[in-house]
Amino acid sequence: MTLQIVLAISAVLFALGLAAALSRSNAIMILIGIELMLGAANLNFIAFWRFSDNPSDLAGIMFAIFSIAVAAAEAAVGLAIIILVHRRIKSVEADDASNLKG
Amino acid sequence: MTCELFKTFIADPMKLVGEWFVILPAVVLLLSAAAAVVVRNLIHAALLLTLSFIALGITFIALGAEFVGFVQLLVYVGAVAMIIVFAILLTRPDRLTKSGSALSGIGPAGGAAVGFALLAALLAFIFSSPMARKPLPAPVSAPVAAIGEALMGDYVVALIAIGVLLTAALVGAAVIAMEDKP
Repeated sequence: MTLQIVLAISAVLFALGLAAALSRSNAIMILIGIELMLGAANLNFIAFWRFSDNPSDLAGIMFAIFSIAVAAAEAAVGLAIIILVHRRIKSVEADDASNLKG
Repeated sequence: MTCELFKTFIADPMKLVGEWFVILPAVVLLLSAAAAVVVRNLIHAALLLTLSFIALGITFIALGAEFVGFVQLLVYVGAVAMIIVFAILLTRPDRLTKSGSALSGIGPAGGAAVGFALLAALLAFIFSSPMARKPLPAPVSAPVAAIGEALMGDYVVALIAIGVLLTAALVGAAVIAMEDKP
C-alpha cells in the first residue's frame, strides 16, 4: 500500500466526475459530477494526511471537514436553482436555460 | 473476544484485514461512480451516487479518519443524496425530453476524451513522483477530542465563517426556491 494507489483512485474518481459534468446535459447530472469531483478532492486530503510524517497535525482532516460543509451548501443552492429553473421553463436541461431574462 | 477484535479493528483496521480494507471500498466506489455517470435513468444515477458516497465514507474510515468518514456518511448519504432525490422527483420532465442527451457542444465522446486526457496527465504525475511511492506509515488516529479542540482553537475563525456560509446558503436556497409572490 503506497500513496500512489490512493492518489490513483482519487484521480479516476475526479476524471469520472469531470466527464459527467462535461458530457451530460441534465443539470442534476452535472451536479452529481461536481459532487464526485469534490469527493475525489476530499479523498486526496485524507490520503495526504494519512501518509504524512506528522499525523498529529490535523490540517488534512480539517480541510476535509470544511470541504464537506461547503459541498453541502453548494448542493442545496444548486438544487434550489434547478427547481426554480424547472418552474420557469419546465425543463432541467442545461441547454434550455439560455435566456438571461425570459 | 469480540470486544478485543473490535478494539483492534478500530485502532488499526489494516492489521486485521490488510490493505483490502481500503482497496475493496475503493473498488466499490469507482464502480458505482462510473455506473452513476453512464446510467440513463436519473433515479438510478442518484442511488448509485449514494452507494459511492457510502463507499467513500468507508474508505475514509479505513484510512484512519473515522470522524471524517462518519461526517461523510451523515452529510452526504443523509442529506445531500436525499435532496438530490427530492430535486429529481420535483423536476420530473413534463414533456418527453431526450433523456441523457448530449450537451450540444461537447457530447459524451468529448466529455470522455477530456476525462481520459486529465486522467492520463494525473496518473503520469502520480506514478512519476518519488513522493507518491511513500509506504504506509504506522497507524495513525485522529481522536475526536483533538479534532474538537482544533476546531475550537486554531480553526475557530474558519468554523465561524463556515457557519455564516451555511446559514447564508440555506436561507438563500429557500428564498430562491420560494414560490413567486403574485
